[in-house]
Amino acid sequence: MPFRQRALLLRRPAPVSFFSRAYLRSIAPFLVMALIMGLSACTSYLDVSPTESIADNQTIVDQKSASTAVNGVYSALSNSGYYGTSFQSIGYLGSGDIQWTGTQSQVQEFITHNVRADNATISTVWSSIYVTINRANHVLAKVPGVADPLLTQARRDQYLGEAYFLRALAYFDLARTFGGVPLITQPTLKATDNQGIARATQAETYAQVLRDLDAAEPLLPNPATVQPTDRYRATRKTVWALKARLYLYQGNWAQAESYATRLVADNANYQLLAPFNSFFANNVRGTAESVFEIFYNGTTEPNTHRGNWQPTSNGGTRQWAPNAGLVSVLTTAPNNTPNGRSTLIAAVGGTTWYGNLYYRNPGSDPSYVFRIAELYLIRAEARAQQNNLAGALADLNAVRTRAGLANSPATTQPDILLAIENERRLEFALEPHRWFDLARTGRATAVFKDPLNNAAPLPAFRLLLPVPISQLQVDAALKQNPGY
Amino acid sequence: MKSPVPILLLTLGLAATTQAAFGVVLPGAHAVADAPLAGKVLDENGAGLPGVTVRVKGGTTGTVTDNQGAFSLPDVPTSATLLISYVGYKAQEVRADRTGSITVRLVPDRGELNEVVVVGYGTQQRRNLIGSVVKVDPTDTKELPVGSFDAQLQGKVSGVQISSNTGVPGSAVNVRVRGATTINGSNTPLYVVDGVFINNNSLQTISTGGKATSPIADLNPSDIESVEVLKDADATALYGSRGANGVIIVTTRRGNFNQKPKISLNVSQGWAKAAELWELATGPEHATLVNENWLNTTGPTPRTFENRPYRPVSEGGRGLPEQQPTFDRLSQVFRTARLQNYDVSVAGGNSASRYYIGGGFTKQESILQPIDFQRASFKVNLDQQLSDKVQIGVSNSFSRTYRNEGRAGDGPAGGLLQAALHTPTLLSPYDANGQLVGRASFDNVELLLKNYDVNSTSLRYIGNLYGDIQLLPTLKFRTSFGVDYNSYDEKEYWNTLLIAGAGVGGLATSSASQYASLLNENTLTYRQQFGRHTVGVIVGNGLQGDTFYRTYAQGTGFPNNSFKEISAASVTSSIGNAGTTGNASSIGNRSAYRLASFFGRADYNFDGRYLFNVSFRTDGSSRFGRANQWGYFPSVGAAWRLKEEGFLRDVTVLSELKLRASYGVTGNQNGIGNFAARGLWNGGANYQDNAGIAPQQLANDNLKWEQTSQANVGLDLAFFDNRLGVEFNAYSKYTKNGLIQLTQPATTGFSSYWANGVEISNKGLEFALNTVNIRRPDFSWNSGFNVATNVNNIEKLNTPAQFGSRNLILQQQGHPLYSFWLYKQLYVDPQTGNAVYDDVDKDGKITAADRQIVDSIWPKFFGGLTNTITYKGFDASVLIAFQYGNKVYNHNRFFGEGGGARDEARVIFASNLARWQKPGDVTDVPRPDGINVNNYLDGGSRWLEDGSFVRLRNVSLGYTLPETLTRRVLGGTVRVYAQGSNLVLLTKYTGLDPESAASSDANQQGIDLGTPPQPRSFQVGVNATF
Repeated sequence: MPFRQRALLLRRPAPVSFFSRAYLRSIAPFLVMALIMGLSACTSYLDVSPTESIADNQTIVDQKSASTAVNGVYSALSNSGYYGTSFQSIGYLGSGDIQWTGTQSQVQEFITHNVRADNATISTVWSSIYVTINRANHVLAKVPGVADPLLTQARRDQYLGEAYFLRALAYFDLARTFGGVPLITQPTLKATDNQGIARATQAETYAQVLRDLDAAEPLLPNPATVQPTDRYRATRKTVWALKARLYLYQGNWAQAESYATRLVADNANYQLLAPFNSFFANNVRGTAESVFEIFYNGTTEPNTHRGNWQPTSNGGTRQWAPNAGLVSVLTTAPNNTPNGRSTLIAAVGGTTWYGNLYYRNPGSDPSYVFRIAELYLIRAEARAQQNNLAGALADLNAVRTRAGLANSPATTQPDILLAIENERRLEFALEPHRWFDLARTGRATAVFKDPLNNAAPLPAFRLLLPVPISQLQVDAALKQNPGY
Repeated sequence: MKSPVPILLLTLGLAATTQAAFGVVLPGAHAVADAPLAGKVLDENGAGLPGVTVRVKGGTTGTVTDNQGAFSLPDVPTSATLLISYVGYKAQEVRADRTGSITVRLVPDRGELNEVVVVGYGTQQRRNLIGSVVKVDPTDTKELPVGSFDAQLQGKVSGVQISSNTGVPGSAVNVRVRGATTINGSNTPLYVVDGVFINNNSLQTISTGGKATSPIADLNPSDIESVEVLKDADATALYGSRGANGVIIVTTRRGNFNQKPKISLNVSQGWAKAAELWELATGPEHATLVNENWLNTTGPTPRTFENRPYRPVSEGGRGLPEQQPTFDRLSQVFRTARLQNYDVSVAGGNSASRYYIGGGFTKQESILQPIDFQRASFKVNLDQQLSDKVQIGVSNSFSRTYRNEGRAGDGPAGGLLQAALHTPTLLSPYDANGQLVGRASFDNVELLLKNYDVNSTSLRYIGNLYGDIQLLPTLKFRTSFGVDYNSYDEKEYWNTLLIAGAGVGGLATSSASQYASLLNENTLTYRQQFGRHTVGVIVGNGLQGDTFYRTYAQGTGFPNNSFKEISAASVTSSIGNAGTTGNASSIGNRSAYRLASFFGRADYNFDGRYLFNVSFRTDGSSRFGRANQWGYFPSVGAAWRLKEEGFLRDVTVLSELKLRASYGVTGNQNGIGNFAARGLWNGGANYQDNAGIAPQQLANDNLKWEQTSQANVGLDLAFFDNRLGVEFNAYSKYTKNGLIQLTQPATTGFSSYWANGVEISNKGLEFALNTVNIRRPDFSWNSGFNVATNVNNIEKLNTPAQFGSRNLILQQQGHPLYSFWLYKQLYVDPQTGNAVYDDVDKDGKITAADRQIVDSIWPKFFGGLTNTITYKGFDASVLIAFQYGNKVYNHNRFFGEGGGARDEARVIFASNLARWQKPGDVTDVPRPDGINVNNYLDGGSRWLEDGSFVRLRNVSLGYTLPETLTRRVLGGTVRVYAQGSNLVLLTKYTGLDPESAASSDANQQGIDLGTPPQPRSFQVGVNATF
């Protein structure tokens, strides 16, 4: 190697004339290297493919990819922006029973019913629900065209039925939170799709929910024996549960009663488990109480809910907590029965109360969407509205009995309706119901005060939350709810 | 005078047929010939000087000296005069003396104009510069205890805004050359170290509350010889695709040929301390405000004086306000930090080889416990001449940077300043049983300090191997291979005493990242002088491939707090709720991109009077869609040195008068994902323990290069033998096809997609003045002053984009980047105590629609002032940096001024005590009435403050011991010095440091939260050279 020799000896190199053999020999390696590098610069050099992701035109092509895409829709439902925390928090923070113990004023706004259009939670919720809808739309648009022998008709129907159901739930949640919203039923394939679409009315949005439920109902299986896994995914029975709730929200009492009855009557599969905490305590999941709950394994599918409820000693931040009023009700007779509703809350050092429905660590608590108790109470309310007071009381008392309480003393229709409202308050104390209940019945204006003027009742415009201002800024077709 | 253009074209043609051309031009002297002539050219030290041009005056005969400085000319007329010239030395004329070999000793020309400036793929004398290039001498500020060399340059370069957004050494620094050109692309300049394009994006995964580490801190400032900042298109266009944000060229130290080994030692020790800390309400003051808020607001139960929170314990209260204690947590977390630095280097060379070997170790504690920064580095630069035509060499930087990290930013779990600053002062660190306990959902400070265990280790290698071949005297080929390799290992462990680990039985995270960039470049450089015409041409190509890998794992459920490694965890993979990272699972990442480039530049210089530059670069990037992979980046520049014209040549008072102008286009693709143009679905959307997939990113086949065109005009003036120098530049930059994650309506199911959706302009003026106030053998005093202004504006953006906590930052068309989006508080009504906000839509209500843009982070002007003085053995230097007119959102104060509404969940700042209490009070702090109801709106402009400052950035004093003493005793020179940084900070800002920002994210600049200030520091040290 002439190179090495020269380098080591460090002696003065002999002058080399240009184009001499020695000179050519010394530059030859460089020229060869340059040539190799030059040749490699063909177009394929710039062709680099991702290994973490797949291209969006080859996503749902066979049975396997269709089933994983459906899982993706459930995953969106379970996201912290949706049933994982944020959407649920809207339902219970506005109940009047929760206090703000952190520093994020976006939380306080729900508690004081002073939600502003720049509230970060509503922005997250709006976006997270539309993410769910887009994923469902992809399944609905692509699965029918998949040709794969493994994609049997039964599987195809199930996937489509699940997607229809999940889209129905998504629009239902949007409509009850914000009112009517843009109805998007096709997947977003390119950047210009699905925008500039004006909001439908709330009635039109509920009609879309019903269309999707009607589509899902025949497609989904109706298991004779409901397995725990059937409680984590949509079945025909889950469709009925949402229909019951939808009709209740629409004041279609007969239909609400009818659909609720289909589940309440299904004693083999759904029961009010006693004691009260049987549906959540001791790390249980998928109990007979549950019609639809969202599955979390705590590791790759974490439920972030607990962090907001649990105190720092349990690794949470206790952003919000049961307020003194709720603590007082739950810890005194008649609610302080063993394993009763009082077990929804716990205290550090006997004084610092925190919600304990979401307690598992790591966070594998289910998020409850439909419990059979709700179907009882839906039917009770529908019956009471139809003046079937005895029937209403029977359903109400079934729920009370399970909670270790005496029968309701209510007798008149208004009293029974109020008793149902109050029962729902405690039965679902930490679940996302009370704000939506008081908003749909309009009772919120009587129960809560105007946040800007404590002498006045809550203005009716506040029953709907504002459309996030960040969305108004990017889509001129969107209009704000009045009052905001 | 002939027009230079045809000559330029002619010479370009000649370059294509070099052989034939030079056979004629060079040796073809037909003068009256005599015997050959030989000689040697020496430098000021008597060492042979290679590469010196030796030519016969009035003739065409010429040559260059070899490695030893020797030359020989075949045919020289007896009466000839030799012209001997070399860059950086004064030219000499020598009679061709026949009596023996000629020895010429050249004298260095220290003049400013002969300064050699490194430009893209070459060097130039300052006098011949067309572009705007600033050469920075890093020496005076080398000792500033900030970790990375770029942070040391604040105030030294006009038009370059450098902000250290935290006082933590080794943290990322915001460097902006002539404003900012993009929203989601990167705005940081390109760093070129010894020809290698190095990565300057932090590889950090484990969150430190929005902060990022600086990859530039892997370089030891002591190994740096010079730093050049390339600002305008003429200067940066050769870096084409990456030049839009300016280029910072770092040249590391090398030995000299024929130099005796020179050993340099530098040792320093120092101390740093926060100049001041936040003023907090005492326990009694806190309780008083909570009570006051109680009475001003209503709740589910009526609020009365009788049931106020701080009432006597006997009445069931928490005790009266005056009975509340006060606990000082701030002085627990802040400390007097130690600083130490050790550098040693050896440089030297013989006739054919030269070397530089350097080693360094630095350890800088942060004033915020337990954070520190340690760097051990090792540098080897070698050059070897294989023959007089071929030279090879290597540059190698090895370093290991170890950081004890801490969450010095936002976020509750593990947040140092959250625990120390944001916990109410009246809460005891002990619970009823005397156990240490975290309060207000923050960690306990003492437990945090005892159990903090977050660290990272960066192993970095930056290397370059080159070969230079002098194909012809005027034609040089260079090939170089560059490597930037970074292995970045992070670990965190949160035991059960800390929030992040509590309840999960301890939490450990390990993340290992690897970044490798491989680069090959080949250039052919031609330079030739034909009488008064000088022509240079460079053509080249480059190929670069970057790969990135990351493996990330979490474990929880440790047997006890003695086990810290994931192998002991009972649950691996991760949890989503308690972790500080927000990552939801064990992750393996793998990504890559490639860049192919071709470039060329031609320059022409007529008689040192008219200078022209044309350059062109094209880059292909794998990040863009097939049809748009290639970007084209041309530039042109011209300069006219009026001083060399006949009418000015004899005006002795004037040393330089030069007009410069340039225009060019540069590009940017940094900051976007490697697959940003593609429609992607990701895995990980799992349900019920089954795999799930989901749309991740919308495709944009049209995604293409961001392009910034820049026009620059400049004026260089110097007087009195260069003792007074002025440089003035005016520029206008316009960025189109700006890369942005364009906000999408959520109805699409996507929050954004990558698009060329923004146009941004930057216009500015730069002024620099350098003076030699005193120039005597034993006394010199030099001053430098620079000031610059930049006006930034978003010219086009269809959908505004929100950033930062509570969307405090809004990027909107017609406003500058990084504008604050706020409820503008006009005043506090002295009668009611209520804040009065600007009701933009005049609907009588203050709603989100009333938020408006109120100012931005941009200063109206900024700059610096330097002074260096030497007197006999003494030397002193002073650096002052300033900026005026920028705004800072004091987010700490926002939290600390809750008026008592946050009760015991947050601290109250002493500033809140100035609240309105009774009619007639005139104040800007309104009556407490809850949070976000009216008076204390999130995003109120009350917390937006003037961030103007004047900072005494650096003062150093040195004394070189008398050489007579040190030479005899030690055989070298010894200098002792003392240095202080940030000794004075003049600002109206009520936070600790107007440069603080909670996040290293460029789009969240100007929001100050939970960040330690840049400390005041004092160091003493010794330099010795043998």
